[in-house]
Amino acid sequence: MTLVMVVDDDQDLAEMLGIVLTSSGFDVDLVSRGDEALEVFRNNPPDLVLLDVMLPGIDGIEVCRLIRQESMVPIVMLSAKGETQDIVRGLEAGADDYMQKPFRDKAELIARIRTRLRRTNADVTGLLTIGDLVIDVTAHEVHRGPKAIQLTRLEFDLLVALAKDPGRVFTRDALLSEVWGYRHSTDTRLVNVHVQRLRSKVEHDPEHPEIVMTVRGVGYKAGGPA
Amino acid sequence: MRSIRQALAQSLATKVILSTVFLSLGVVSLSGSALYSRLSDGIKSASLSSSLAESRFTFFDAEYKLVISRNSTVEERKKILADIIVNSTTQVVKEARREVVFLRAPGTSRAINSYEMSSDLINPQSLPQKLRKEVATSAEVKYAYANVKQKSGIEEQSLVVGKRVNIPSGGRYEMYIVFSLANQQTTLELIKNSLYFYGFALILLIALITFVVVRQVVRPVREAARIATQFTEGDFSQRMEVKSADEMATLAQSYNEMALSIEQQITRLENLSRVQQRFVSDVSHELRTPLTTLRMASEVIYNQRTSFDPIVARSSELLSAQIERFERLLEDLLEISRFDAEVASLDAADFDLVALVQRCVKDFELGDIDTHSGIRIESSEPAVQIRADIRRVERILRNLISNALDHADGKEVIATIVATDTEVGIGVRDFGAGLDESALIRVFDRFWREDPSRARVRGGTGLGLSIALEDARLHNGELDAWGRPGKGAHFVLTLPRVAGELIAGRPIKAEPKDFHQDNFYL
Repeated sequence: MTLVMVVDDDQDLAEMLGIVLTSSGFDVDLVSRGDEALEVFRNNPPDLVLLDVMLPGIDGIEVCRLIRQESMVPIVMLSAKGETQDIVRGLEAGADDYMQKPFRDKAELIARIRTRLRRTNADVTGLLTIGDLVIDVTAHEVHRGPKAIQLTRLEFDLLVALAKDPGRVFTRDALLSEVWGYRHSTDTRLVNVHVQRLRSKVEHDPEHPEIVMTVRGVGYKAGGPA
Repeated sequence: MRSIRQALAQSLATKVILSTVFLSLGVVSLSGSALYSRLSDGIKSASLSSSLAESRFTFFDAEYKLVISRNSTVEERKKILADIIVNSTTQVVKEARREVVFLRAPGTSRAINSYEMSSDLINPQSLPQKLRKEVATSAEVKYAYANVKQKSGIEEQSLVVGKRVNIPSGGRYEMYIVFSLANQQTTLELIKNSLYFYGFALILLIALITFVVVRQVVRPVREAARIATQFTEGDFSQRMEVKSADEMATLAQSYNEMALSIEQQITRLENLSRVQQRFVSDVSHELRTPLTTLRMASEVIYNQRTSFDPIVARSSELLSAQIERFERLLEDLLEISRFDAEVASLDAADFDLVALVQRCVKDFELGDIDTHSGIRIESSEPAVQIRADIRRVERILRNLISNALDHADGKEVIATIVATDTEVGIGVRDFGAGLDESALIRVFDRFWREDPSRARVRGGTGLGLSIALEDARLHNGELDAWGRPGKGAHFVLTLPRVAGELIAGRPIKAEPKDFHQDNFYL
């Protein structure tokens, strides 16, 4: 069974999320305080974390940062505030995706969770190269020479999406659909923040990227071989 | 001339200095000319009285010498006359030059022995006739000012003093002493030039003093103006310096008090606005979380409705629909409050507007089985790249299309796209019931409904067009509405090609092109 950890201080919402997720076939761990989240996370590592931004104890963004320090588990932030800065802060702290309350419907929530759990690019196997990096898709590893680079699952997917089609320029919409599984989203903040984060891990100099190149006015593409 | 007038209008200092210079020019020239005339009068009368005294002595001396020469010969008498001339024309250094003339008086017969005599330089014909008459008819000493011609031809300002003298056995003669006024003239000239020079220097000095004084006053005024300008531009921390206890300091103090008061008011309003924003954000959080729970719970119930009895089943449908409506209303209210608090931000990106319109239309066509209205897209170009906040533009488009479909009465809806180099227009035209004049004015008002009894097909919140207008203006764009009862409505969104730049015109006019034709044929 797949375990989802729900961190939300609203008891009723947490319970409701529990009912919905259980009925969709997930196991659920409910946590109501930010400062308890990390302990529960360590004792019983989940496959995915649903994390509210506003929490008693320590806030969701800090919880996200702490979890990210020790795990590459998918994190989906739940935000009641639609303000851009909150969303961007959450994404910068390491969240893979965010959902704004109230969710459009149950199906949307489940779909987002499934997308984050699914292995995207399942059709790609073997080794890919991008710049001076070697991606072992099967083993889910990225190497620069002998050195392994730790990436979250989403960052890995983003890198693979670019690397498997080296000549192509991806618009932000195309990346949203390929990596996040959004059909009609126009929210480019997700892409922008994750590209920044990916660059900070894989580039020699994130200010002058050689792996994830920007194509002005269009989107991104894979850098040429070193 | 214009630049002087401009300088006068723009600079207080120039104005004050110029008027001071003009006024002091008047005063200096008046007092200068008065001084000059007093001085010249004084000098003239002093020289006149000394000249007259000297003349009287000379006349007396001459008459005495002539009287005692009664028994002399003609030659001896001429010698005496020549002596008199030589004696009296001998001048001390710096003394005015003088000449002596003996002329035969009218009525004295032209005797063989003429005693007419003059010192070399004077042309006796140039002595004033009027004076000669006076001398001829009176025994007194007479004088006059005149230009006396010298033998060399030069005329010279002179004082001519004359008296009748009797020459024994020669008859009546007139004796004239001509005092040259050249020295006096030079002195007066010198005085005049000095007056001019010092008057001019005085005016310059006054201008300089005025400049210094005016600067003392004008500088703080200029400083005050600069500070007030900066204050107007939003730098509320600017204060004037209070250095003394004069009027300027009073002004500065009052100004500073006013600035402080304004700054406090602004801070208070800013705080209020911050409190308001904070409140909105809190309300948002507090409402959204229970709404999420409600939403999911109602969905669980709704999904089970087939197993309920009909009344409970219908209730669950209503519950679900109203929660959805409540949610939309909340979203719209929050959006409006963001505009009101001026915290709405523009997230601009490049995208193809035609593709966006096509996608919106497609979504409506997929979602609306119950409307029979078709939507036609007419674009001047296959693709129009613009830089704008795609989320907001999409919201405007969905709103306009949704409104048009609601009011189309099953007739076709046309979406037109016309692009120029600097702006792009999107018109959404329906041919339904239309809008009248009073409705057009209020169509963008919040919660305004054209006809309260009208069925809400799509269940709009009543805020859609208000938000659309705010969204358009956030891009520096515009949203215009046109409508006629029975002729349908036309909403036109005009956006700059790059968000935030100014729009120069309307690629699509609010009044639709087809409207004139309608009028023509009907």
